Amino acid sequence: MMASMVANGNRDGRQGEALVLKGVDPETCMIVFKNHWAQVVKILEKHDPLRSNTSSNMASAVQNYVEHMLFLLMEEDAGQAGAMGPILEFVVMENVMERLFLWSLRRQFTDDMKLEQLKMYEMIVGQARQPLLHHKPVLRPLMMLLSSCSGTAGPEVEAELVSLLNQLCCVLAKDQSVLELFFHTSEDQGAANFLIFSLLIPFIHREGLVGQQARDALLLIMSLSAENQRVAQHIAENTYFCPVLATGLSGLYSSLPTKLEVPGEEWHCLHREDWLQMPTLVQFLNSLEFCNAVIQVAHPSIRDQLVSYIYNGFLVPVLAPALHKLTLEEVMTTTAYLDLFVRSVSEPILLQTFLSFILLHRHENVHILDTLVSRINTPFQLGTVSLALFQTLIGLYCEDVMLQLILRYLIPCNHMMLSQRRVVKERDFYSVSAAKILALTPSCCSPEHSPPPLRQLDSILWSKGTDNSPNTGPLPPPLCKEEQEEHCQSPIYLDVNYLHYLYNARLGISSCTRACQVWSAPYDGEDPPPEEYQPSALEEAGARGRQAQTVNPKRSHPHPRPRPPCPPQTTDPAPTNQLELEWDDSYDAGPVVSPEAATAESSRPPQPPAAEPPKHIQEMRRTAIMLVKGSYIEESDFQDDVMVYDLVAKKDEDHFKVSSLQEKDEVPLSNGLSLPLHPTNMEVNSSEVIKGSKEVKAHVEDHNSNLQSPLATEVGDDLMDQYEELIRTLGSDEAGTGGSSPVKTVDKEFRNPVVTPMEEDEVDFSSFSVDTPELEKQHLSLFGTKLRSGSTKSHSVPFTGPFVSVLLSRLENMLDNSLHVNLLLTGILAQLAAYPQPLLQSFLLNTNMVFQPSVRSLYQVLASLKNQIEQQASTKKDFPELITSAQHCLLARESSLKGQDTNSGDSRECSPPEAGRMMKSSPPPQPKTISLARTEVFATVLFTEFLKELAAIAQEHSILSHVPMEE
Amino acid sequence: TYLNDFWEKGRSDGEEQSGEQQQQQQQRASPARPSFGKKQLPSIPKNAVPVTKPASPAATAQLANGTHASYGPFYLEYSLLAEFTLVIKQKLPGIYVQPSYKSALMWFGVIFIRHGLYQDGVFKFTVYIPDNYPDGECPRVVFDIPVFHPLVDPVSGELDVRRAFTKWRRNHNHIWQVLMYARTVFYKINTMEPLNPEAAVLYDKDVQLFKSKVVDSVKLCNSHLFDQPKMDDPYAISFSSWNPAIHDEAKERMFTHKRRPEDHQKGLQVSGLSWVKPGSTQPFSKDDNPPQS
Repeated sequence: MMASMVANGNRDGRQGEALVLKGVDPETCMIVFKNHWAQVVKILEKHDPLRSNTSSNMASAVQNYVEHMLFLLMEEDAGQAGAMGPILEFVVMENVMERLFLWSLRRQFTDDMKLEQLKMYEMIVGQARQPLLHHKPVLRPLMMLLSSCSGTAGPEVEAELVSLLNQLCCVLAKDQSVLELFFHTSEDQGAANFLIFSLLIPFIHREGLVGQQARDALLLIMSLSAENQRVAQHIAENTYFCPVLATGLSGLYSSLPTKLEVPGEEWHCLHREDWLQMPTLVQFLNSLEFCNAVIQVAHPSIRDQLVSYIYNGFLVPVLAPALHKLTLEEVMTTTAYLDLFVRSVSEPILLQTFLSFILLHRHENVHILDTLVSRINTPFQLGTVSLALFQTLIGLYCEDVMLQLILRYLIPCNHMMLSQRRVVKERDFYSVSAAKILALTPSCCSPEHSPPPLRQLDSILWSKGTDNSPNTGPLPPPLCKEEQEEHCQSPIYLDVNYLHYLYNARLGISSCTRACQVWSAPYDGEDPPPEEYQPSALEEAGARGRQAQTVNPKRSHPHPRPRPPCPPQTTDPAPTNQLELEWDDSYDAGPVVSPEAATAESSRPPQPPAAEPPKHIQEMRRTAIMLVKGSYIEESDFQDDVMVYDLVAKKDEDHFKVSSLQEKDEVPLSNGLSLPLHPTNMEVNSSEVIKGSKEVKAHVEDHNSNLQSPLATEVGDDLMDQYEELIRTLGSDEAGTGGSSPVKTVDKEFRNPVVTPMEEDEVDFSSFSVDTPELEKQHLSLFGTKLRSGSTKSHSVPFTGPFVSVLLSRLENMLDNSLHVNLLLTGILAQLAAYPQPLLQSFLLNTNMVFQPSVRSLYQVLASLKNQIEQQASTKKDFPELITSAQHCLLARESSLKGQDTNSGDSRECSPPEAGRMMKSSPPPQPKTISLARTEVFATVLFTEFLKELAAIAQEHSILSHVPMEE
Repeated sequence: TYLNDFWEKGRSDGEEQSGEQQQQQQQRASPARPSFGKKQLPSIPKNAVPVTKPASPAATAQLANGTHASYGPFYLEYSLLAEFTLVIKQKLPGIYVQPSYKSALMWFGVIFIRHGLYQDGVFKFTVYIPDNYPDGECPRVVFDIPVFHPLVDPVSGELDVRRAFTKWRRNHNHIWQVLMYARTVFYKINTMEPLNPEAAVLYDKDVQLFKSKVVDSVKLCNSHLFDQPKMDDPYAISFSSWNPAIHDEAKERMFTHKRRPEDHQKGLQVSGLSWVKPGSTQPFSKDDNPPQS
């Protein structure tokens, strides 16, 4: 009976036993134990398994006795003052456990027997009432058992092994004194040091319960390492924990689907529901989560090492190439993965690793960031997924991200007229910007045109507070003429919807402001000082910085291990010199990178760069061509960025031309970084990636710095010069294309609303007194233009960065974008607008700001959109009706999204709602079904809402950003 | 004499902390005029039954004026809120104001005179802001009780503010300047073109008598300090004598709660990230490891 109990690991059975034993006095137990042991010894001596064939009868007899004995051992209480109980003492003296283990070892040590022994130990370790592991005669056979199980074993044994290891780790976590013993026993054996730990490593990436238990156990040791230098040192220096963990990510990554089957066009990121359906992705995320947890709890030396391996063993060799695969679908999939990973990581250091990969790593000499930004402009799903990634990045409130994306282009303040610098910090006291933004509301969407359920009006008490005002009352308030007699307490009707926007704006801005308190600078046009970051200075510094980064890319990813084997970055999980490894061939790193991929990577001959343009260039070219063919090109001011991409592509087609222009093998990019295409240099870079060993790396880096230093000076060439060069060379090509569409003409007056309409002759100089500060500004800015255009023309064409340009370009195309693209776009812009940094705020929201003529502002784009909409509305008769339908549809969508978390993929047709709560309360006037393909209609509705959202943000900024934080 | 609990608190935390009293009032009379700090807009749940009553003809007429008509009140409201944040920022010595519950255009205030002829004077006043602010006349300041002063109308209690702000200029003039002016008046007496000629003449001819009149006036004002506020408004400033049951705890909190308002809501704490070394614009330029949060 007992045997079956043990065999089944039935703990409930033990309860009964415990009750039985309760009444029994210790002496009796001791007698019984000794008795059993005597029987066992008899059998052991009689039936040496090596000589005679032990009958299964004998074996089960032994088993029976042993189990009974173990129960007695477990139930024994410790003696006085922590002394051993008599049974335990006997076990130690007689070396019971070791003899038992040796006996089973001499028999055929089958999986079944291992299982039996493991369960035995699991039981006594977990349930004994006195510490057993402190005693070598107990510990040593346990260790022997463990090492014997480390070889190939069946899944059952593995499960049991991990379960026991997990239990041992729990004991360790509670009682660190055992730790020393674990180390010592290992030494005795001459085997590897921290056996428990090493045994767990192969299970790191396992799926299911086994993997989970192993990871939990490892985490216990990790938190132990934070306090125990010796453990930390051992793990960092003598184990392959970090490389296994990091390269395991690579392995798991390679088994992810390279192309996702996306549910619909609307899909743009991997939600929980999505990835739960993908076991391989779940497994990857488990491992990533584990890395995150390790970094959170482990000793800094382990943490730094792991981070470094993730960077050099996963991000650079695996993810970077994956982001540059050949098909749109593959690249889109990788982008969606990257987005998911960034969202899944919470530990700042790990996040930093991912972010520095995105922001600073160069793949084939192009920053990953630049590639990602350029993809926003692809009109396919890749563009949407890229947008979603940036939404995630912006939502991190990370200074480094914002710096690279936008702020560094705004710091020099070259995007505005010189005189405007002081306006940066000014606050908009009277909601002037909000009013100007809302004034762009298309006439077909103005509040009074919407029927009741769409226009949620509510009465707001808006009194003038004049009731008790003595004598000279103010003018009769215009809002309530009717009720003048009643002291004007009449409610007026306001757009409730706008109140929601204000409320959300307030929440958004305050949390962003709070988050940004950890930033290094206010970015207010004074700090960092614009003078120090003028394009020339900036570029030099940037080049220096980049050079430093290139020379020592590991600065933030230290390589503390003195002699780490290179992270086995690809296939073979078991390095060849197995002898040195402390765990043997059971090392299981999970699925691995396909060998083909690995060889392709390493054996690819160093291509002469001119033979085939790099992939990103090809891609940009594709993008650019599409854009040229598409409608974008019709906007005359589109040139900023897309033109540059186009140019890059054109340039690239004729590489020799570039060479002659640049006199160097460099391809200028839109962001002003040049692409050194020096063959040797490239080769060095790729070899650096492939080889992992530090020595090699150090050597390569030396080499690298030598190579790069002469180039770096050229890299330092002014960004703007190159940019301008591009524009100029394109100019001739472009002159022909600019047809004069009516939209464009109307557009013009919005380009520079303040400067253009005012001829200099008309300026009344007498008006520039202190009384008219605003006019004064205008004047100064006029002056500023002249001044600048005279002196600095050659130097800089102001550029607010590729990210802003690309966003605005897509926004400009709003009427043709699908609904979900517009939702993402406006979402991102609203997110950006909520940032409290005056540079950003003034650029996006301050409609009074006078920018350089070449700089496109959000307001200009919005104004041109308004014109396009008005045009549409005037030419299409049924436009108002369609608008109403679209409004109903969107309202229904919103309430149905609120009802259910997930949105069903099918939304080609947008039918009137059944569940819309708002609709129920008031009968809708029979909204028609409208197809989502009517993008211009949906865009119009969305545009109107976006204006409100922006205006609300602008209004809240005027208050929130100026509230003293401390009182 | 002690300040009313809710009033003191309103000042002490700038905006965020309103006393229980205030909060109750807010709940009771919910949507229209939120206090400044809790400037949360009236909570109108999205699923609430929308008001379907037909808009009054007057309202419709206003809406027809385009977006400005629809949003004008929002602009005015936010302009006044912005003014109020400026007042807080200025930390004018001895001056406290609070927008009324009913209208953002009416602010209640009190001024404490700490030295000079009017020493120990505690004068309550009301600020009236024209509804075409900031394009109208300058705001008016009216004392609850006409203080004996050359520039204060002996009947209405109105202070002659206009002489200092002949033309109210947007962006240039702010309400805190008016408050500042109201304070200065009691330290630097001006008798030119007085609203109270008697006071002006006395000041110029018989300062002793002037002084004694001022003392009487201060006494009179202070004797009415505990009167019910002149205006029936939840946010009107009212004084009461020290009541340990109410004020002790409030005082205690005032002195301990010097922390930032957002520290109260730890749960909502969102932490941003930065690895930028101060003075650098290079990402990940910090030498040390990123701060652990």
